[in-house]
Amino acid sequence: MKGEQVYILGGYQTDFARNWSRENKHIVAMMREAYQGSIEATEIEPGDIDAAFIGNFAGELYCMQGHLGAFFVDFDRRFVGLPTCRFEAACAASAVAALSAMAYIQAGIYDLVCLIGIEQMKTVDAVKGGEFLGTAAWYEKEAAGIEFSFPKLFGKLGDEYDKRYGLDDKYLARIAVINYDNAKNNPNAQTRNWFMNFEHASTVGKYNTIIGGRIKVTDCSQITDGAVCLYLASEEFAAKYAKRRQLKLDQIPRVLGWGHRTAPIEFAKKIADSAKDEYVLPVTRQAIVDTLSRAGLADCWDLDVIETHDCFTTSEYMAIDHFGLTKPGESWKAIEQGVIEMGGKLPINPSGGLIGCGHPVGGTGARQLLDAYKQVTETAGDYQIPGAKRVGTLNLGGTATTNVCFIVGR
Amino acid sequence: MIDNIRSVIILGSSGTVGSLTGGLIAQKDIKVYFLSRVLERAKSGLERAIAQARSEVISRNIVCGDYEHLLEKALEEADWIVECVSENLAIKQRMYEKIDQYKRSDAIVSSTTSSLPLTELPRGRSESFKRNFLSTHFYNPPGRMLACEIATQAATDPEVFDFMKDFLGHELRRVVIPVKNIAGFAGNRIAFLLFNQITALAEEHGVEMMDYLIGPYTGRLMPPLATLDLVGVDIHKAIIENLYENTNDEMHESFILPDYINKMIDNGSLGNKALTKGGFYKKLESGKRIFLDPATCDYVPAIEPHVASVEKAKQQIHMGMYREAFETIKTAHRKEVDIVMDILCTYIAYSYARIGEVTESELGIEEIDKVMSFGFNWAAPSLIVNMLGGKEYAIELMEERGFAVPDSLKSASESAHQIPNAGKYFVAR
Repeated sequence: MKGEQVYILGGYQTDFARNWSRENKHIVAMMREAYQGSIEATEIEPGDIDAAFIGNFAGELYCMQGHLGAFFVDFDRRFVGLPTCRFEAACAASAVAALSAMAYIQAGIYDLVCLIGIEQMKTVDAVKGGEFLGTAAWYEKEAAGIEFSFPKLFGKLGDEYDKRYGLDDKYLARIAVINYDNAKNNPNAQTRNWFMNFEHASTVGKYNTIIGGRIKVTDCSQITDGAVCLYLASEEFAAKYAKRRQLKLDQIPRVLGWGHRTAPIEFAKKIADSAKDEYVLPVTRQAIVDTLSRAGLADCWDLDVIETHDCFTTSEYMAIDHFGLTKPGESWKAIEQGVIEMGGKLPINPSGGLIGCGHPVGGTGARQLLDAYKQVTETAGDYQIPGAKRVGTLNLGGTATTNVCFIVGR
Repeated sequence: MIDNIRSVIILGSSGTVGSLTGGLIAQKDIKVYFLSRVLERAKSGLERAIAQARSEVISRNIVCGDYEHLLEKALEEADWIVECVSENLAIKQRMYEKIDQYKRSDAIVSSTTSSLPLTELPRGRSESFKRNFLSTHFYNPPGRMLACEIATQAATDPEVFDFMKDFLGHELRRVVIPVKNIAGFAGNRIAFLLFNQITALAEEHGVEMMDYLIGPYTGRLMPPLATLDLVGVDIHKAIIENLYENTNDEMHESFILPDYINKMIDNGSLGNKALTKGGFYKKLESGKRIFLDPATCDYVPAIEPHVASVEKAKQQIHMGMYREAFETIKTAHRKEVDIVMDILCTYIAYSYARIGEVTESELGIEEIDKVMSFGFNWAAPSLIVNMLGGKEYAIELMEERGFAVPDSLKSASESAHQIPNAGKYFVAR
């Protein structure tokens, strides 16, 4: 990667199984807990923080609260006057916040940025929440008056695969099962105590209804309240931090590569544009290729783990061939051969991903980065991939409109 | 000694604990017999298990039947027999006699009781029955409450205990708490002492005020008397009387049931299961709630209590400022807040004093912490100590208030609770 190196110093994830509305908590309570947890986890001196960047999709809609960056200065007397800002790019909100933090660090402006990704979604029922999520698409054209517009749009992604290459839904069911299984090993995963098996994921029934097109309940990620707080640092700060913790600098993970590409917001246009491309979502593919290239890696097989954006099983199905685990259209092979499972050649979502771990929209990009940090520092506990050195992430905003990737490694 | 569990019988599968525990087992692709006195009741348990899993596919692992037609056949193959029948010694013993006749010699038998004496239950049974008999006390509903206390009697084979501890922990994903064979085990002993104290205080201060003062903001998901409505007032009475009869400790007199509870039961005011009659609360058709007046056992309109320091503490919790909320309560000078502090001190003192009596001494408060958190969704006793400012401050506070400070608290290491992990126990209501 060109320029100044950017290090990740660890952080904290809230328990994604919590319902903060039931606890009658303000979204800022969640932000505060994530921050406090990150300080306890990293032992960072609050006075060293140069800026705080908050990724959040729709606080105004879910919580009637915008301007989340401003609340950060309440967390410590020393923060009054600290530069803070909130970033938004739908489900990629905290990934773009991370990109911005990197830019400030690479420009030599800040040495230590506190990054928070957060969303409180259980303030409203599923239908209302679905309507809010519709604003991540082209609302007037793709979501207005449509119940659960996003599952329907991502159902069309599966339909497009089916049209071009053929798609057996048993592979989508398998993706769901793998994510739920992985989540059982993650103490912060929303579904860690939920029931799931292949038969349930494959069967339409009273509890596994069709949400839109080929998307059933089990194909969907979760409605989640959650926040993640982590720290990005310059090499100079990371070296001091490492010394204080009696570590060598090369034991601290850093961002090896990144990619950021934006496709047309309208899903139908994306699909029309890619009609002659072997990849269904070529802009997403380009973000991945950029990232591998910036990291100086030949292909995905130089990665040990992938944390991808499985907002629906179809989006993980897409990620498999777009990362290059298979030829375009052959994602099913990696599923069938067990490549993406724990213990497979390239495990995807040991955390459980968005389906198993949960998907607090604005928090997911930061959650992926924190999980990448945990994997490469061997601190992922029961969902650790032994010996993981490099982790790739893919965070999608909207219908793969904003595409942000990172490779974190040592 | 069995090496795996492939087939299970739930006796009393029409009840909540039986059906939902059976459902959890069926989720693991283990064959489960749901048995009840009549088939229809077993089937109602199946429906509950399906709703818990949110999946019909588990029903392929569940066989419903009645005792008369299916018990003998099921006993021939069962590796584990889970008894959840009525909390009545004679009924359970009659059931055990039948089980003993037909079960495999290596089948494990567990009771879900935490009240009846574990030594009495298998009296007269075969040596193999006693060797394989223990208590597995699941908390309700088991899909959300992960605690499971496990207790043995003198004849239980230690290998059976180890096997079940492992199975419950790893296969059924329970938080397993080994407890000593004493009435109420750990969780009910501690929680119901507090429940009973609060019912007694309600005579003076009123139901609504007590649930307001000892509300969720003090470290619990539900107010205590509303919890008793959920448990059932008759069940509360049975547990309290059992604890009074079968335990004897420094708080023995606190296990005397206030008279008005008997009157409630006579009136049929049993709680949520008797909706028209009410319990501590009664919901009117308009949706409004009215509250029991313990003096008359009639219902009175809401007074909507408002104590400034309590309101301030709730607002601080609403914003995630938990320590600040406790500071507000600690430093408030109001009679009402004294009640809050006394209850919290009782909780700490009574819990720490039970170390060694209900759980093994060497584990300190850890096991009691687990059962209160995972069985009741209450902030653990050591967390309350932490929130009050740490061990030294809590001891000082308890001494000021005339509480005998247990040695186990004096010698305890300072607990290092992370507020982020603890925040979920403090609800801003």
